This record gives sequence, C-alpha cells and structure tokens, in this order.
Amino acid sequence: MSAEIWQITWFTLIVALGATIVMLPPGIALAWLLARRRFPGKTLLDTVTSLPLVMPPVATGLILLYLFSRLGPIGSLLALGGVGIVFTWKAVVLAMATMGFPLLVRTARTGFEQVQVRYEQMAATLGAGPWRVFFTVTLPLAARTVLAGALLAFSRAIGEFGATIMVAGSIPGRTRTLALAIFSETEIGHNRQAALLLGVSVVIAFVAVAISNALIHRRPDEAAG
Amino acid sequence: MALAITLDFTLRQGGFLLEIRERIETDALALVGPSGAGKTSVLETVAGLRRPESGEIRLGDRVLFSSARGIDLPPRERAVGYVPQDALLFPHMDVRRNILYGARHGGALPLDRVLAMLEIAPLIDRRIARLSGGERQRVALARALMASPSLLLLDEPLSALDPSLRWRIVPYLQRIRDELRMPMICASHDPAFVRAVASVALQLDHGRVVGFGAPALLDMAP
Amino acid sequence: MQMNGRPRLPAILLGVLLAAGPARTGAAAVAPAHILVSAAASLTDAVTTIAHEYERTTGTRVSLNFGPSSGLARQIVNGAPVDLFLSADEAQMDYVARAHLVRPGTRVDLLSNQLVVVMPDAEARPLKSLRDLLGPGFKRIAVGDPAAVPVGVYTRKYLTSLGLWSRIQPKIVPTLDVRAALAAVDGGNVDAAFVYRTDAAIARHSRMVYAVPLDQGPRIVYPLALIAGAPDAAAATRFYTYLRGPQARAVFERYGFLAAGHVR
Repeated sequence: MSAEIWQITWFTLIVALGATIVMLPPGIALAWLLARRRFPGKTLLDTVTSLPLVMPPVATGLILLYLFSRLGPIGSLLALGGVGIVFTWKAVVLAMATMGFPLLVRTARTGFEQVQVRYEQMAATLGAGPWRVFFTVTLPLAARTVLAGALLAFSRAIGEFGATIMVAGSIPGRTRTLALAIFSETEIGHNRQAALLLGVSVVIAFVAVAISNALIHRRPDEAAG
Repeated sequence: MALAITLDFTLRQGGFLLEIRERIETDALALVGPSGAGKTSVLETVAGLRRPESGEIRLGDRVLFSSARGIDLPPRERAVGYVPQDALLFPHMDVRRNILYGARHGGALPLDRVLAMLEIAPLIDRRIARLSGGERQRVALARALMASPSLLLLDEPLSALDPSLRWRIVPYLQRIRDELRMPMICASHDPAFVRAVASVALQLDHGRVVGFGAPALLDMAP
Repeated sequence: MQMNGRPRLPAILLGVLLAAGPARTGAAAVAPAHILVSAAASLTDAVTTIAHEYERTTGTRVSLNFGPSSGLARQIVNGAPVDLFLSADEAQMDYVARAHLVRPGTRVDLLSNQLVVVMPDAEARPLKSLRDLLGPGFKRIAVGDPAAVPVGVYTRKYLTSLGLWSRIQPKIVPTLDVRAALAAVDGGNVDAAFVYRTDAAIARHSRMVYAVPLDQGPRIVYPLALIAGAPDAAAATRFYTYLRGPQARAVFERYGFLAAGHVR
C-alpha cells in the first residue's frame, strides 16, 4: 500500500473520529432531551434533526455550503474572525458530523428511553442532583447503546461523500477522504488505485460492524437487577 | 425515635384517587391494606416521586410539600430513604458503590456499623447480579441508611424474599428502629410482620383510610 | 452563489433510463428520433441553446449530458449509449478513439477557447502576470482536476511551461469540472479560478482578471465525433452536421467560442 493510500486512510479515520467526538456532547444532550422531556416544538426539533438522514446527502451539503461559504450567514461571521471552513479539513468534519448526527441522536435516544426512570428516581432520593443522576446512573446504564450510536455515526462519517464533496471538495492531501478518493480516482480512470482504496474501505466497514454487533448483544450478567 | 408525620393530601393518578388526612406521631408506622389500596402511592408521594394535587406533607417541623405555601421539595432534598419492593440496586455498580451512593462526608452513620448491623460486610465487593433476594434487600437498606435520611420508607419488605427466609428481615428492621432510632413507614399486607415491626398502623382501602390504631387491635385480614 | 442551471446526472444512469425507454428501439416511424449528446461542461449554455433550436425545428429529441470530458469519455468507453461526443481536449477524444468507438472519418476539431483567471467581484483586480498568483492573497485557486479534466490539464501544462506549477499546485482546489470551479469562485469560496473565457463571460459574482494570450497559451481544441454503434445513426449524423453548420456557429460565437480549423 502506497504512502498516499496510508495518508488518505489515516486522514479519513482521524477526521471521522474528530467529527464523532464533536457530535457527542450535543448529540447526547439532545437524545436525552428527546427521551425524557416534553416541550413545545419537540416534534419539530426531532424532525429537523432527522433531516440529514432522509435528504440526499448532496442536498444537505448544499445547505452547509450556503451557510458556511464566505458569503453565507455563518461563514461571513466566521470570516470576520479569520476562520474559513469551506474547502478545508474543517468542512470535512462539518459534513461528517452533520450526516452522522441524526444516527447518534436516534440511537442514543433509544438507549436513554430504555433506562428505567425508577433508577433515576432512586438516585434522586439518595440525594443526587440532576447532573449527578445523569452522569452516574442514566449515562452509564445507556452507555452501550450510546456507544453503538457513536460507532454508527463514525461509520457513516467514514463513508460520507455527497455532503463532503459539496462543502470540502476533494483536495489531495487536505480534504480527500477515502470515499472522495475512490470517486476521484475512478473519474480519471485510475482503476487500480480506486480498487485498493475500495479494499481499505471494506476492511474498515467490516471492523466497525463487528464491533457494533458485539456492543449490541447484551452479556447475560448485565441484566438489570 | 418518634417522629411527627403529617400526611394530609389528595393524590390523583388517572382514575385512581387517594385521600389521606392523618397526623401521626410514632417511630414505626405501618400502611396496611390489600394490593391496589394505595400503600405504594403514599410512600412514593412522601419520597417526592409523585406530586399530590393539594395538601401538605410534614416530617417533624420540616415541610416537604405544601400546596398552600407553594412548597414542593424535590426528592434529593427530602432526606427520605426509600427502599422499594424490588430493592432497585444500581446494576452497573457493585455493592460498595451502591451503598455509598448517597453517603456524604460527615454523614451520620459509620459504614462499618451499618454493614455489621445488616451483616453484609462480606458482600461489599460483590456484583449486584450475584446477590440473593435477601441480600439485595439488606444492601438496599444499607444504601438508604448511608444517605442519612430522617425517615425510612419500606415497600413490602417481605415480598421479594423466599417464604422460608422472609422473617429474617424482621430483626434487622427492629435493630434499625431501636438501635439507630430511625423512624420508618412500612407498607405491608402481612399482619404478623406489621405487629412485629410497627407501633401504629394505618389501614387503607381503595385510596381511603379505613382504620387506624395499634396493629394488634386492627382487623387486618389479608 | 451561482449553480449551473442544468443538473448533470451520471450518464450511466441517464443511459439506463433512456435504454429502458421505448423511443430508442428504432421504431422511427412511430416515435420521434432521440439522440444523446455528451459535451464538455464549458459548452453547457451554448450547446443547450443549439439543441433547443434544433429540437424546435426538426422535432428530434436531443438529450444532453454535460460534465468533465474525462468523465464523459470514461462513460462512453464503459458503454454509455452516447451518439455524439464534444470534448474539451484531444486527449479525451483520443481515449475514446483507442477504444474504437469513434465512427471513422467523423472526428473534426470544432471549437477553440481561451484560458483565463477569474476572481470574486469583491476582490477582483487585474493581474499583471500569473506570477501574481504566488502571492499570499491567493490561498486557494480552483480549477478542474489537473489530473484529467481538460481545463485543469491545460492549466497545469501551461503553468509548468512557465515554471510556476510546483509553487501554485499546493493552492489548487481540484473540482469536478470547469463549471464547478466557476461556482467555487462565484460563491467566494476560493480566491481565484482558472476557467475558459466563455465561462468567465457568464459569471455572476466574479470577473476575469487575466487572459492567457492566445499566442502563448495552450492550444485549446474541442474535437467533435460521432460515436460508433449508435442505434439511430441517421439522426445522429443530422445533428452532427447541424453542429458544424452556420446556425450553430453563430450561437457558439455569441457565447464567445473561437473557431478551430481543420478536419483530421
């Protein structure tokens, strides 16, 4: 495997990991809110969060491009601070995080919904405030599912193409992920290179699914008592 | 130690209505009555897990709930220890972490004493899944005690236990009542248990109080 | 931000849809003739105008497929049912020819163009030379992928001949085709872009700041050819002739394309 393929693989893994980490705090918070609280606009929030899951990725990418381009509402503010997103690795993180976010939220939400409220109530009677209840009881009991959600989002991020190419482009050495590289190499007829990249993608996907399955299958001694 | 307990509230839950207006001074109160009478609801309301429509709940001179004065203390501020029917130990923690969950620095009870009294010291590093029903019960009791409550609530302490082992819990509860001088409210439909542990009993049926007095004097046919 | 008006579906998908349609089974007496034309992205507006006019006057349905010539050539070689190919450089037409898919005797050089640099309106100022691009004000320069897209290949070869390529390459943002590069600079997301003069002419929020002199710059040639094995060869040939005729030439000139010369 050439140095270039290593670079692309490494870059893809790192950026996807970064995107997953970036997603976690807001994703977990939102999942908890949707699982435990009722509030006006909840359905709307849930719907908007799910949009990237359902819309064509290029459409989501287009929205991101509009928002974050130097002339766009968010991009122009960032430009004042000297920060540019479009066509940089930050845009790759943005695209990956946006596409993976709904997967994380939906999965984590299920995890929280499966935590019996009674455990949280018990913790409260023992004197724990809401934050302590969340970090010592709710989150640990939902941890497996939340982790599975993060892994799902990570896998989605690795494979992300449509939104990424819109907002980050396929710049060799800077924004070219595995998926983008496969496309670019195919476009210019470098079929062997594309096949090698494809092989790497398959290996990564295999490992991710295997870990995810291991997480989802509960071990017997973890049954709630 | 006797505690002045004021239970004066109306609780509505779907189609179920619970009304209680009692003021009792005792060290061990039993709530008796058939299943569905409202015993668990009373306990959960005192613990702060259910909110009455109106009324007042006081322990001693502490007001836990008062609709007139707009007071509704959240569970964590009520200093009420709750031991539900199924113990509800945290499955992701071992015995030690469960017991110490609510303990604060400068808590009233030393851990060794509680472990000794409930005879669970050897279990301290065990995982919850490996405890028997009786052991869980005692660990749940220890956990509640270590949070320094001013009142203990026990919901059907006998029901999760093997019939032949049931009565083993009684001496422990008596120790808690007498040696630790911890006031308690026990919900139970077992007359013999109530007579052994409680000083006063409140009889509930279909959400209403239908009897009050010394356990020996009440007709508590199950 | 300007986006191209015409969506560019992958020709394979388009081809599948067309192949499934009844119009291409050769029952010419019942359905109108229907041809598929693949053309370089820079020709989007001109060829669309020409095709619409042709449809109006002859009733033949002309389906258009625009994109980078490299991608279009690959599609043809992989079996896309294309009738005519109008490429932005000779290399891609050669690629199709090597696969024996060019109908013999039909390859002609149809058009030429000029390579230019555009900048967003807000920052635009005339460049004295391409050396200006080495400056710190130019962090990102968009161009069709220099590895294979014609405009990128022309740019790379020209900058290499000037000894500037190795220093400009780190700034390059490769795009799918020339119109994507135009969109990038039009949206203010890059500092400059290499496009054709004809693309600069339709830019909405950017403008030309430098034109590579025709006598010094790359020899830009747009070859046209009929693809071998087309189901309705007669209809394809008629449109091929029309493209080389006066009405089409007038449209090309209006959009700023230059004439190329000779038949191979």
